[in-house]
Amino acid sequence: MLPAIPWRLETVMRLTFLDRGPALIVEESIRVLVVGDLHLGIEADLSRHGLHIRSRSRERMDRVVSCIDSEEPDLLILLGDVKHNVPLTSRQEYRELPGILDTLRAKVPIHLVPGNHDPGIERFFREREILPRTGALIDNVGYLHGHTYPDHSLQGHLIISGHHHPLVTIRDQVGCALRTPGYLFAPVDDRCLQFPHPEEDGAGKTRVLFIPALNELAGYDILQTAKEPFSPLSRCMNARESEVFLADGTFIGSLLSLEEHGDHEGT
Amino acid sequence: MEITKALDPRVQACIRERGFTRLSEIQSEAIPLVRRGDNLLLIAPTGTGKTESAMIPVFDAMLSREGPGFCTLYITPLRSLNRDMMQRLEWWCRELGLRVGVRHGDTPQSERRKQALSPPDLLITTPETLQALFMGKVLKKHLAHVKYVVVDEIHELAGSKRGSQMAVALERLAEYAGEFQRIGLSATVGNPEGVARFLCGHRKFSIVSVPVARHIDISVDFSGDSFEKQGAWISRAISRHDSSLIFVNTRVTAEALGHLLHDRGDVEVHHGSLSKEVRIEAEERFRTGAAKALIATSSMELGIDIGRIEHVIQFGSPREVARLVQRVGRAGHRMDAVSKGTVLATGFDDLLESLVIARRAKAGQVEDVFFHTNAADVLANQVAAMAVEYREIPVQKIREIVGRSYPFSDAGDLVSEVCTQMAEHGLIRVEGDYVRSGGRSRRYLSSNLSMIHDERKVVVFDMVSRKTVGTLDESFVVGFLHTGAVFITRGQLWRVLDMDEGKITVEPAKKAKGELPSWEGEQIPVPFSIAREVGSLRRSGNFEEYHAGEKPRDFARKFLGEMEKNRTPVPDDTLITLENAPEGVVCNVCAGHKANEALGRVLSILVAARFGTTVGIEIDAYRIYLRLPSMVRAADIREILLGLDPSHLEGILQLAMKRTALFKWKMVQVAKKFGAIDQDAEYEKISIHRLIDLFEGTVVQKEAYRELFSVYMDVPAASQIVSLIRQGSIHVAISHLSLLGAEGLFSSRDQISPPTPDQAVIMTLKRRLDQQEVILACMHCRKWKSRTMVARIPDSPKCPLCNAGLIAVLKPWEEPLIALAKKKSQRTEEEIATEARLIRNANIVLSGGKKAAIALAARGVGPENASRILSTLAEGDRFYQEIIKAERNYIRTRRFW
Repeated sequence: MLPAIPWRLETVMRLTFLDRGPALIVEESIRVLVVGDLHLGIEADLSRHGLHIRSRSRERMDRVVSCIDSEEPDLLILLGDVKHNVPLTSRQEYRELPGILDTLRAKVPIHLVPGNHDPGIERFFREREILPRTGALIDNVGYLHGHTYPDHSLQGHLIISGHHHPLVTIRDQVGCALRTPGYLFAPVDDRCLQFPHPEEDGAGKTRVLFIPALNELAGYDILQTAKEPFSPLSRCMNARESEVFLADGTFIGSLLSLEEHGDHEGT
Repeated sequence: MEITKALDPRVQACIRERGFTRLSEIQSEAIPLVRRGDNLLLIAPTGTGKTESAMIPVFDAMLSREGPGFCTLYITPLRSLNRDMMQRLEWWCRELGLRVGVRHGDTPQSERRKQALSPPDLLITTPETLQALFMGKVLKKHLAHVKYVVVDEIHELAGSKRGSQMAVALERLAEYAGEFQRIGLSATVGNPEGVARFLCGHRKFSIVSVPVARHIDISVDFSGDSFEKQGAWISRAISRHDSSLIFVNTRVTAEALGHLLHDRGDVEVHHGSLSKEVRIEAEERFRTGAAKALIATSSMELGIDIGRIEHVIQFGSPREVARLVQRVGRAGHRMDAVSKGTVLATGFDDLLESLVIARRAKAGQVEDVFFHTNAADVLANQVAAMAVEYREIPVQKIREIVGRSYPFSDAGDLVSEVCTQMAEHGLIRVEGDYVRSGGRSRRYLSSNLSMIHDERKVVVFDMVSRKTVGTLDESFVVGFLHTGAVFITRGQLWRVLDMDEGKITVEPAKKAKGELPSWEGEQIPVPFSIAREVGSLRRSGNFEEYHAGEKPRDFARKFLGEMEKNRTPVPDDTLITLENAPEGVVCNVCAGHKANEALGRVLSILVAARFGTTVGIEIDAYRIYLRLPSMVRAADIREILLGLDPSHLEGILQLAMKRTALFKWKMVQVAKKFGAIDQDAEYEKISIHRLIDLFEGTVVQKEAYRELFSVYMDVPAASQIVSLIRQGSIHVAISHLSLLGAEGLFSSRDQISPPTPDQAVIMTLKRRLDQQEVILACMHCRKWKSRTMVARIPDSPKCPLCNAGLIAVLKPWEEPLIALAKKKSQRTEEEIATEARLIRNANIVLSGGKKAAIALAARGVGPENASRILSTLAEGDRFYQEIIKAERNYIRTRRFW
């Protein structure tokens, strides 16, 4: 019934949106739990900038654990920025990271695609747990933190990316806003991503799914990100054909539909 | 002069030299009590010799005492008062051979060092500097010798967080100095006992009070409602007297009036935004007679000596009796003289309010001072102070010290709660039963000596009028505004065009979007009791009883006559009118700002819940203006109002305030005073909204609520109005917009958002589906198809060619299917199936009409899903929720991620 979709795959891929993470289950031949941008240690940094709050690392870990327990994935992929402080690792991170990672490891094998906040993370992970910074293809899906150009092997695939902490702002009739973590899905231009054999303009199959940060303190409005992209992926995406979802998978519309409406008559 | 004979001869000589031939009433009553060692509250108008009543016996006692350290602390709320007091008391001290010093924020370092090395006998200071004294090792020692503490203008401090902080500081002082004698000097207040207890805690006290009514002569006048006419009236009044002090309620009015009267050349302007030099020069010109008139804001209320004032003019209603009494009391600066004052009312509400306030002033019915009891942020501040002062201190000791002060005498377990929170954000350490100072404690304290909310200001510049609109606090700007954001200040919507260091450029906005942060200006709330009496005066029309002159009376009668002519009922203390206005409903309720704020917010929350829309609210003392979508009218508001249960108001507000910008903003302020956010925090590091979520359920949030429910709104008063409606003592009528309803609105505030985030999600979905392009295809004649938007589809679509209702609704990319279905011969199985599907699609539209079309426009919703959705018979929001469910399901399982 449906018209031919250019990137239709051989096997069936299913995504499950876990609102309580927010996190994502990607299922093809194995079940992968994807968790983005934990930013453990953010409190130490905030404190240096005059905002003093107690560490919420424990709560964040509990959210991940709850996703693992209910979904029983085969694999957990931490999509970068597991730690927060750069270039130095804070005392908070030394104190908290080993225990948290051990708790996760005890439940499920873990992998890390290092992010821009992860220099020095090696000491907390085992060597085989660390994937390349430029992304890795697992079960036909590309995983990339999102601050770098993707590895060429990711061309033509769905790339799941962190780093952008998407927040969606939606408004009602009179104009009150709801601002909440969400997902942004869009085709990306192969040439722009510097893939060696790009498909003709717009015909490429490569597409990206930006996932929300698990850290509840992080977030950028996606409209702002689209206006002022700050990464190769966000620069190369096709906003016109984008799709926006809330953390529970509710389809909102394209990026363009989120653009400001009303308020122009008469002013 | 019996009383003076008992004093030290040196003091007697000074009294003679000052030219006191006899003591004033208050002096002869107070001096013996002070000599007896009583804690004392002295209540009298300015200029009746209050200061001397306290200080003559204190000087007398100081002469007979030898010893190191500070003997007497004289605390005033303002630095400028310190300067003034220094000049007055210096003379006495010089004559008596006592040393006097002044110490506050502006005191130079050299002077401070001198005071530490050789402490003056009498130290004039502010509450904040007293806090700082506890931090210095040497100064702390000097404090141990304090025998007398005089608190000047105590009514000004008692009702603020500064006051609560000072009350604790006095108990901390008692830990070093032992019990000392406490003397408070106050203007007239409604609850002298309360203020005395604020000063003394659980100790015994005496009160000496001079009734104000005998000393004032107040009248109310009206000169038309144009500013020019009012200016002319004031100009004439200035000419008729030797010296006039003109009080206005806001700085903006002060400037405007100053501008209007500038050409006279003998009028000066004085307010807090002017530099110290300009203010002192204005005071000086007035004192010397070079200027006949001084235009001032509340900065001139306190007893700064500016020489003799013959006449006080209050421009516009003073809003409160206490304020009027205090201001008029500035006139006739000679003992026992009568103070003469006139209120120039500026409009109908303003006039009636002024008449009521003037009547109450003459009857001595002054408002009570409201105390900040159990303010958790003050407690946090003082816990940190004690942690630094003692390095380690048992929690029990802290409880004892703060528990002796009146504002915290009933604090329960607040001390523990506060300590837990502070330990959590690392400002102090709690180890067992002890509180210890932490790494940040001292630094926090140095930047938080004051409970005054004091911050860098950002100028708001209106691009269109090319004028400065006002100023905003920096953290408000950083936390809540961004380019394109709309906010409310000075009763108007503004959109941010540009943000610069220290300045934001705005343009007026018409319609709001997003949550609207608002900024409150210099609002002085009208108390409940006054607004109620204004209502009763509207009803009785008995202006004679209020001694209104001819002009005010005629104006008021004419106004009420107009109301009658227009057949609009006059709302009063027994009648609430709900008037349909172009963009909403004006609710005329005579209940004062705080009660209306509470009632208005409750109404808007309930409207938002019932109709699923956002409601804007604006309030003043006599009106609540609800900005509403056109579907909600006065009758709906009436129904909600009549259905209210007075006991539910607080609960409703608790829930809904959480989402307002006002509440979030309060939370930031409280968190700052708690030391969880530094004064110079870099807000851009994190969204303030998210940060605030982290204080959910903590004592920080509790304090924000406490302050909101005491400072910004009066829930008991609102509940009283609701009870009166229930009992039938207040009627509720519906009307069209009246003269009164339209008058003087626009002191705008927040918006209340709809109760569930679902509302916003559904609105977004509706909008998306409305704009979804679809193809309509007639499955009957199969000759017609048309491309359109869902919003344009009629309730039951029909084919314009054959007039049949068998119309399939397809997504644009399904258009090729129509051709497939048309094929008559040699059809493949797929083509046959396609035709069947389209016919099924059209059948659903035939039975379900537009609703079916909407469902079919949704993502991944084919005929099967659509008929399932329609079969639930869900209407309105629930219908859209079904669509969301179907889309979510489709997206989860779709194959083309």
